[in-house]
Amino acid sequence: MKIRKIVTIVEETHSEGGRPVENPTRTAVVLAVIENPWAGQGFVEDLAPGIDEVAPQLGQLLSPLVVEALGAPVEAFGKAAIVGLDGEVEHGSALIHTLKFGDYFRKAAEATTLLPAVEKRAPAGCTFDIPMKHVTDATIRSHHQSVEVRIADAPRADELVVGLAAAAQGRPQARLAPLSSEQ
Amino acid sequence: MTAFRKLLVTTEDIVLELGQPVATQVRRASAAAVIRNPWAGRGVVDDLQPEVEEIAGGLATELTNRLIQALGGVDRVESFGKAAIVGLDGEIEHGAALLHTPYFGHVIRHLVAGESIIVFSDERSGAGAPLTVPVWHKNAAATRSHYQTVQVRVSDAPRPDEIVVVVAGASGPRPNSRIGDRTTDPDVQVADTSGGAA
Repeated sequence: MKIRKIVTIVEETHSEGGRPVENPTRTAVVLAVIENPWAGQGFVEDLAPGIDEVAPQLGQLLSPLVVEALGAPVEAFGKAAIVGLDGEVEHGSALIHTLKFGDYFRKAAEATTLLPAVEKRAPAGCTFDIPMKHVTDATIRSHHQSVEVRIADAPRADELVVGLAAAAQGRPQARLAPLSSEQ
Repeated sequence: MTAFRKLLVTTEDIVLELGQPVATQVRRASAAAVIRNPWAGRGVVDDLQPEVEEIAGGLATELTNRLIQALGGVDRVESFGKAAIVGLDGEIEHGAALLHTPYFGHVIRHLVAGESIIVFSDERSGAGAPLTVPVWHKNAAATRSHYQTVQVRVSDAPRPDEIVVVVAGASGPRPNSRIGDRTTDPDVQVADTSGGAA
């Protein structure tokens, strides 16, 4: 795996809707800009060898970094793969949609649910939103949220941006009735 | 100190540059606070000083401490810069007021143990506009290897009545910097170059 750079973003919200947030919310994102392992190879039928090599390395690298950046127990989480213009969305999906990637984050976050994800093909400097849901119960509405990210010079056409997002709580000022109240 | 709506800390660790390993590891970082413009809704305010005295020092302390933490300690802050993005209903002068007084700059220099004047950028723009923040060496501003920039963007700020205030820095030189310095430059006259009078 060829990493060009690692970007970390930590966001705190101290007030929302004009009211102070009692315990400021904290969200962390860690992104790796890597060379697309299938770049320049035309249509690759079998992605498994690339997945086996790269996905575990990414999971092992990014999971502790995002947990450390958050600095608090992870309550909601999500993941992202943004593919440079010469790649396939399937390349991004390959790296993030197997247990070989996600299980490292689930373990680090003491999570049991599926990781919500964004995957798209886009030019460098595109913005993308990483969706997050609760780490043990994806129906908990207060924790449905997303965080917006942008890297000015990535992904290049032959690169991929792969990232993890974690939140220490639900939305600031969350006050929707729970799903159970409508069932 | 004034309350902020949001605080955003971003770091970038550069590992490869054009495929080549980065010889001197460098982390670039920024800390950005979204605050309400203290002069919002008051028309043209002649004397900006009272709010500067009230707000600038606390902001500089919070942002600089976040930057130091992000870079891994005071010793790792080799360069610094500052910036303001003023929301559309404000004046550039409002951003300048918060940045360009000793109430802000002295605090940064004190906390990072630096001596240089602090380089800056400012802009009035809508929410989500990226701003490029220059940084240079905290003790010797003319150190050429340390001229670089950090880009800052907050997706939902500044609102028209807000200001994004930024302190940025880096833990080392540009990745693979190699254009020498004043001490190694030949004695170049304008006539020796392709520029100057035709």
